Order: sequence, then C-alpha cells, then structure tokens
Amino acid sequence: MSTPPDAGWQRLDPRMLLVHPVKEVVRFLPVLLGLFVAGRASGGTGVWWNAVGVLIPIGLGVLRYWTTSFRIAAGRIELRRGLVNRHVLSTPLDRVRTVDVTAPPVHRLLGLTSVRIGTGTASTDDDERLDLDGLPAEHARRLRAELLGARTPAGDRQALPAEEPILVFDPAWVRFAPFTSAGLAITGGVLAVGSQVANSLGGLGRLHPERLADDASGWSWWIAVPAALVGLAVVVSALSIAGYVVTNWGFLLARTADGWHLRRGLLTTRETTVDADRLRGVSVGEPLGLRLAGGGRASAIVTGLGHGQSALLVPPAPRDVVRRAAAAVLRAPGPLDAPLTGHGPRARTRRYTRAVGPAAALLLVAVALVPLADAPWWLPALTALGIPVAVALAADRARALGHALVGGYVVVRSGSFTRRREALECDGVIGWNLRTTWFQRRAGLTTVTATTAGGRQAVTAPDVPEPAALALARAAHPHLLDQFLEAEPVRTSP
Amino acid sequence: MRLREPRERVSPRARLMWASTAAVEGLVLVVAVAVAGPVTHWLPLGWWVVGVAALLTVAYVLVVPSWRYAVHRWEVTDTAVYTQTGWWARERRIAPMSRIQTVDHVEGAVARLFGLSTVTVTTASAAGALEIAGLDRARALALVDELTLTADSVPGDAT
Repeated sequence: MSTPPDAGWQRLDPRMLLVHPVKEVVRFLPVLLGLFVAGRASGGTGVWWNAVGVLIPIGLGVLRYWTTSFRIAAGRIELRRGLVNRHVLSTPLDRVRTVDVTAPPVHRLLGLTSVRIGTGTASTDDDERLDLDGLPAEHARRLRAELLGARTPAGDRQALPAEEPILVFDPAWVRFAPFTSAGLAITGGVLAVGSQVANSLGGLGRLHPERLADDASGWSWWIAVPAALVGLAVVVSALSIAGYVVTNWGFLLARTADGWHLRRGLLTTRETTVDADRLRGVSVGEPLGLRLAGGGRASAIVTGLGHGQSALLVPPAPRDVVRRAAAAVLRAPGPLDAPLTGHGPRARTRRYTRAVGPAAALLLVAVALVPLADAPWWLPALTALGIPVAVALAADRARALGHALVGGYVVVRSGSFTRRREALECDGVIGWNLRTTWFQRRAGLTTVTATTAGGRQAVTAPDVPEPAALALARAAHPHLLDQFLEAEPVRTSP
Repeated sequence: MRLREPRERVSPRARLMWASTAAVEGLVLVVAVAVAGPVTHWLPLGWWVVGVAALLTVAYVLVVPSWRYAVHRWEVTDTAVYTQTGWWARERRIAPMSRIQTVDHVEGAVARLFGLSTVTVTTASAAGALEIAGLDRARALALVDELTLTADSVPGDAT
C-alpha cells in the first residue's frame, strides 16, 4: 500500500489537541450555557446533555488533528484536511510570497504558533488559505526559512548573515497612542459595548434625568463641562495606550538576507516577513493628531500581500524615528527628505474653494433658517465657526501638496487629516491615470494617479499643473508617454 | 508638449445605447417620483417635482451621450494601451503592455441589442483597469485577440 506520493506527510503538533478543544469549548460556550440552564430546569437527564455538549467539541478537535496534515515535496507545499470533504490544497514553493507566524495567547502557553502562508491569491475563501495552525515555534521558524529560502540556492543559505535590527520598540512611543484614530475607535467601541451592557442590566433605566439635573445644579457649567472633557480625555488616553501596547509591544523591524522581518504584539505575537523583491515603496503617514504631537507612522507598499495582512513598518512613533526607519527600508533617505515641487497657486485656490465653499453654503442656509423656520440665533453663530476651521484646513491641505521624482521613486505628498508622503519605485508603477473634471480643465490641473500592485493600489497627486503632471510621468516612464505626446497647437492668426 | 487624445473612437451606435439606457433609467425615476408624490401622496411632492425630474432626464438624454461619445477614445500601440473615458470628469489611463494581466470581453444585455461590447484590460492594480465601452462587436473581438497575443509575448509576472 505504501506509495511514494503518500510519503512525507506531517501532522501538526499534538499539543494542538489541547488548543482545539479549548477553542471549541469557547465557541460552544453559549450553547453550553443554554444546555446547562435547560438541564437545570428539566433536572435528572441534564447531566448527560452537559457531557454531550462538552464532548462533541473535543471530539471535533481530535478529528481535526487526525485529518489535517501537510508536506513539502517535489517543489510544492500541500495541505490536506477534512474527513468527509477531503480537501487538498497545493501550491508551488516559488509562489510563496509571505509567511506570517502568529501566536495567540493559548498557543503561546503551549509553545505553539500558527503559520499562514501567503501566495498573493485574491481568493477570500477560508478554505483556500494555507494555514498551518499549530506548529512548535522552532519548527515554524525553520519552515519559514525553508519556504522563503526556496528561491536562494542552497549553497548561499549558510552564508546569510543573521538579522540586523533596524528599529526596536521604545516604551516612550506610547505617548503617541492617544493621538491616533485607533484610540478613538477603541473608546467608541468600549463605550458602545458598556452602554449596551449597562442597558441590558437595567442600569440606564434607573438613571433619572431629573435627579441628575438636581445633582448637577450645585455645579457650575464652567466646572462640569471641563471636568467631563478631562474625564473623557483620560478614558480615551488610557484605552488607546492599552490598545497600542497590546498590538505593538516588543516591536522589532530587522533587516534579513533578502528582506525585512517584523515582530510585534503583547498577548498575540505576529511575525511577518517582507520580501525585498516585492517591496515597491514606502508610505509615511502623518495624520493630523500624530503630526501635532510630532509623530508619524510608516507602512510598506508591498505586492502579493493577501487581504488583511498588514504591511505596517513603523507604529506611531517620533517623526525622526519613522523617517530613519523608512529610509533604511528604502536604502535611501532621498525620497523621504527631498524637497517637493509644489502644485502652484491654482491648486491652492482650489483647496480654498473646496473647503470654504461648503462651509459658506452651510452658513447661508443657517442664516436663512433664522427668519424662515424660527431657528435659534446660535445656529448661524455656530456654523460661522466652520469658516475659520475650513480656512485652516485648506491652508494645511495646500501646504501639503507636492510631488517629485527622486532617485527612481515617484514621491507624492497630500492631505491634512490623513497626510501621507508616499514614495513608489518607478518600476512598481504599472499604469498612469490622469483625471480632470471640467473645473480642473479650466484651471489647467490634473489629478495624477500612479497605479501599483501593492499597498493602497495607487499613489495619487491631486491638482498637478498639466505640464508638471506630464513631466512626472515622462521622467518615470520615458518611453511610455512619448508616443502619445504632441506639440502644443500653434495659434494661427485668422 | 501635451498629451493628445487617443486615436480611435468607439462605435457611433454607442450614443444610441447610452441614450436609451439613460432614457429608461430616467423614465423609471420619473414614474417613481410621480407614484410616490402626487399619485399616492406618500411623500409631499407636487407635480412640479415630476416636471423637473422629467426635464432633467430629457436634458441628460440629449446632452450626455453625445458628450460621452466625444470623449470616449482608445488606442493600442506595440507598447501601451491608452484610453479616455468620462464626460464631466475625463479620465485618461495609460498602461504598459508588459503590465497587462487579463483582457475581458463583455456583452451586456443592452449592449447586445446594439451589437456592441466592452473590452476591459486589467493590470495587477485594483486602481488601474482600462475599460473601452461601446465597441463594435467584431472590432472588440479583434482587439481582444490582438491584446492577448501582444501581452502574452512579454515576459514577467506584471506586478
């Protein structure tokens, strides 16, 4: 019966027998609780039902362990699973683009890891994923080296230097956590869940607005409002710092023989490798909050990353640290430091009209509502505040605009709330989109987009003067555009 | 120097296709507004709203398809594909032949009535698909063959 094609299959680590049942029990927890309650109510036979409820998930876990196996043979990695629906997934080794090693808390207790092998497939089906859930940490490292080293000849592999750290986590970075939008999102989530829980426990029903008003009447508004704001700020800061620490603790960015290695996480550790061949550029983000605090963040523009795989290079950190790390990844500081060509007065005017226009329209509506619909007087006053905010936003957006071609990279900067400076390798540009609305054509401006297969799929420079837009695209791809160019039509006198 | 328009135009029948699609969509909108407003009084809308909707539809059907036809152009050279689409917002897209991943040929239900089809050229970027709508069917099929042959002859994985 022993046929060569069946040889070499390996199981996952037997310690997964402990992980799976625990996970299955957690998943079955609501059902179990229901069974428990039902068992109590009916009495007698309930014990048996409870036992069945616990045993089924454990049985499923054991079954999954026995039916899952994988092997590396004949230049392919194959994953076999399923008892009734036999599922064999197979991919050539040279298609492997990323190997992510994740270790959730239960895995870490047992010294296990979960390995996700990325092939850059667009498939989002869970069954199509090459996940090896449950390998010993050491085995996972060897597997990763084997998979990613498949491209380099065996002889060279011994000579590879160990990884050289470029950036190591500094606990002082947590001061940037409250300035990220993630902090706000976490707070919003916690408040929403908290109010749900409080509501379902009948907590909100017991609050009487009149009593609150009575209690607060002793307080002056001038004390109550700032106190509430400070309280909210403290909660937001605490939650966002906690979130930051959980995701980014122990962050390490290291240079390896053929790429970059990233590790982070407090409870669940994540390890990602970014292949140098697949790196197309770097995006340095300076969202408004982080920028005001003197910070920034960076991510890599990498092709072949699957959905939900992060290409984060530097978590929110001081601006200089981000610049230095990003420059190290690009192997050149130029694209991140070089001065950019501005987009000129017309682009600046457009920033102002587009920001102040809606604010002014809002103000007009508010003013009109006062006599027409008996709106309170403070409504126009409040909307009038929008004008200076819009002006400040437009000024900031206008200041951000810029583009350049530096050392073989297309460099673009734009935005205010989400300001980004993106550097994309010319070789990584796989097309150019030049978009003009009727208004833009009148102003002689073009929105230039360099498309790419990685990151956000494109790098966009809004409102570039047309000659500068063409010059940028021509400098990046000399032969591509020239065939579609013509001389300016000479104006002949009638 | 400036970027010239692509050389080839789409089929003149495309105007009729766009106009009839827009007319049908506009008719549905006008009828919906009429039924929701003055007919059933479900929404407080007068007949004048229906009139405005009808006027807008007529203006759109008269103006936009010709405008779109004037803008829609395409060109294929040995090394690149170049398209121009849109009307109010005009978008020019250029992709090198070496970066083409797939060439799709689609005949929608309406397009088939007019003997037209759409050729979509995709690259590895989600932001970079080039679409040529309103091509004559025979021309479209020839174009697909040509593009497939040229794109195949360029090595590399196009990312």
